[in-house]
Amino acid sequence: MANYEIMFIVNPNTAEDEIDKINTQIEGVITSAAGQILKIEKMGKRRLAYEVSRFREAFYVLFALSANGDVVRECERRLRVMDPVLKYLTVRVDEETRRLDKMKNYRQKRAARRSSGAAVATADQAGEEAI
Amino acid sequence: MARPREDKPGGPQKQYYRRKKVCKFCVERIDGINYKDVKLLSQFVPERAKIMPRRISGVCSHHQRQLNDAIKKARSIALLPFATE
Repeated sequence: MANYEIMFIVNPNTAEDEIDKINTQIEGVITSAAGQILKIEKMGKRRLAYEVSRFREAFYVLFALSANGDVVRECERRLRVMDPVLKYLTVRVDEETRRLDKMKNYRQKRAARRSSGAAVATADQAGEEAI
Repeated sequence: MARPREDKPGGPQKQYYRRKKVCKFCVERIDGINYKDVKLLSQFVPERAKIMPRRISGVCSHHQRQLNDAIKKARSIALLPFATE
């Protein structure tokens, strides 16, 4: 199991409930294959940086999920088939988040060590002054 | 051959100090460069929408590589342009 993010953009002329329908369909694909949905985010209508099938703006939707690669492949196939979906992008995120956690831990540890070191130094100074 | 500066008319020559460039991501401790963060990424894609080279932006090689990936991902989902007219 790995964590993925699937982002796709939908034709701006589709109705809100149409988008919800797409979302539930994708959700169904994921949950039926024992995948887990971590987040569904409708990022709303945004301007596109370039024209995509003659549209200058589109709805952005973001899925964060934890599943096997097969599930992702199936989701991508579905998205490809769906007419209102203009584009999609899947990114694997677990390795990146693991790396970031490691970095964060390291930084925290270092900060803790440094502050304790500083405490020792000031204590030393105080001792010297006493002498 | 370098002439001593005092010889030049008009007093000592002006010296240029090039400010040392620093990597924005190292300084601000930005760890993950996310492809969704358009505001951050767009700082590194000038008008023509090309990726800004390291010699200009001063980003370190480690972060430049991450930035590169993020910008390319953002381009493929139309968050950033490939090129502008």
